[in-house]
Amino acid sequence: MGEALKYSIMDSVRSVVFKESENLEGSCTKIEGYDFNKGVNYAELIKSMVSTGFQASNLGDAIAIVNQMLDWRLSHELPTEDCSEEERDVAYRESVTCKIFLGFTSNLVSSGVRDTVRYLVQHRMVDVVVTTAGGIEEDLIKCLAPTYKGDFSLPGASLRSKGLNRIGNLLVPNDNYCKFENWIIPVFDQMYEEQINEKVLWTPSKVIARLGKEINDETSYLYWAYKNRIPVFCPGLTDGSLGDMLYFHSFKKGDPDNPDLNPGLVIDIVGDIRAMNGEAVHAGLRKTGMIILGGGLPKHHVCNANMMRNGADFAVFINTAQEFDGSDSGARPDEAVSWGKIRGGAKTVKVHCDATIAFPILVAETFAAKSKEFSQIRCQV
Amino acid sequence: MSDEEHHFESKADAGASKTYPQQAGTIRKNGYIVIKGRPCKVVEVSTSKTGKHGHAKCHFVAIDIFNAKKLEDIVPSSHNCDVPHVNRTDYQLIDISEDGFVSLLTENGNTKDDLRLPTDDTLLNQVKGGFEEGKDLVLSVMSAMGEEQICAVKDIGTKT
Repeated sequence: MGEALKYSIMDSVRSVVFKESENLEGSCTKIEGYDFNKGVNYAELIKSMVSTGFQASNLGDAIAIVNQMLDWRLSHELPTEDCSEEERDVAYRESVTCKIFLGFTSNLVSSGVRDTVRYLVQHRMVDVVVTTAGGIEEDLIKCLAPTYKGDFSLPGASLRSKGLNRIGNLLVPNDNYCKFENWIIPVFDQMYEEQINEKVLWTPSKVIARLGKEINDETSYLYWAYKNRIPVFCPGLTDGSLGDMLYFHSFKKGDPDNPDLNPGLVIDIVGDIRAMNGEAVHAGLRKTGMIILGGGLPKHHVCNANMMRNGADFAVFINTAQEFDGSDSGARPDEAVSWGKIRGGAKTVKVHCDATIAFPILVAETFAAKSKEFSQIRCQV
Repeated sequence: MSDEEHHFESKADAGASKTYPQQAGTIRKNGYIVIKGRPCKVVEVSTSKTGKHGHAKCHFVAIDIFNAKKLEDIVPSSHNCDVPHVNRTDYQLIDISEDGFVSLLTENGNTKDDLRLPTDDTLLNQVKGGFEEGKDLVLSVMSAMGEEQICAVKDIGTKT
């Protein structure tokens, strides 16, 4: 083998092994964790997440996106050619904020995340709420009796014999549901009377607002939603203890053989899909942002409504669902882009994390940190 | 309400209550229960223990004793249900009038003429057919909550 050939082989091998890299300096975040030599500083610790990598970085991105939602004003955009004088007014443009849709599953209301949600609703930090039946009833039940900490491994049969129901590592005694029944049945009776005498057509969101009014308890997020007129949508209102109660109530009031004379309590879901989609359609000049904890119905319902306005502008998903089975629960934001539920240029992130860990941290670094601004600006709108 | 009916009620019930209360959890299959104001016979009871749905419940499927209509109810098992007083009285058949009423002989020798022939076809044929053949018939009359109806027929031998 000649010397020349030997060198040319070495060159080509070198060029493969030591392929020159693109310079990332300045364009990407440098991976770096928190240095505990600086003492225990929670604010700095949380700020270090974005540069830590993996889901810590995703949580850091989520914090950044939610802050963008909160900071956005119409004044940041150039007025369109054909907009009216009123729309050009600087003060007006400064007052138009991002409309925030918050969706969460029922287990999170069973957990302490309920109190984080209550804080957001109490201070009118979100505009629209979507949840499932458990997300309604668990909030009300907690006003009547507490949920306790148990363990994931407690055996079902033994819990059943003790009249305890398990939600992950939480326990809810049957007695809580008996108290709930005693509380809610007279409310249903009253609502039925209003349906018959005042021709009220109830929708899930109207029922929920009424329950929030009746519970009259400042620890309840539904109470504050009622008070602050924040709509809470729940198209699956009957899929839970609330549905059990409505089932029993249908025997008391209502005759399936004689629906004209005695219809029972009627709840119209069509009225609510119109109202829910209207929240997105009539967002007008506002941008919309979605913060969705968990999957299932709340996730899809929020995304689907935003499709009616050609997609949301910001999306933060926090859940642990996987996408390989094609479920919407596990779908990353990009799948929703394909459906037009999120805009192409939107800021999105999915944090693969239990929302009980991620969400309070997210709120601490976003909504709660800006609480003063909320009392000054957003409440005027 | 006709005079005859009023006359009968004051005599049979003598001001007594038409129903009595009984705890839902103690009502069994083949017992009686009032559902939507109708006296019924229970054909099915299922109970659910206290749970996510609240208090323990009894689910009753029952048949209206007069019109055979199926009715359903769900009651917390600790609550009281109304249970009808159901009485059966036997009378001997004296006559069948052209307008579909029967004439019955009461225990104290009076006649009772306020009951219609039964609507159930089998029972109707037994009563009409038996009477035409000259059989001695005893009719069982069921009464509850101010209503009464012929519910059975017995042949006690041919008239001599």
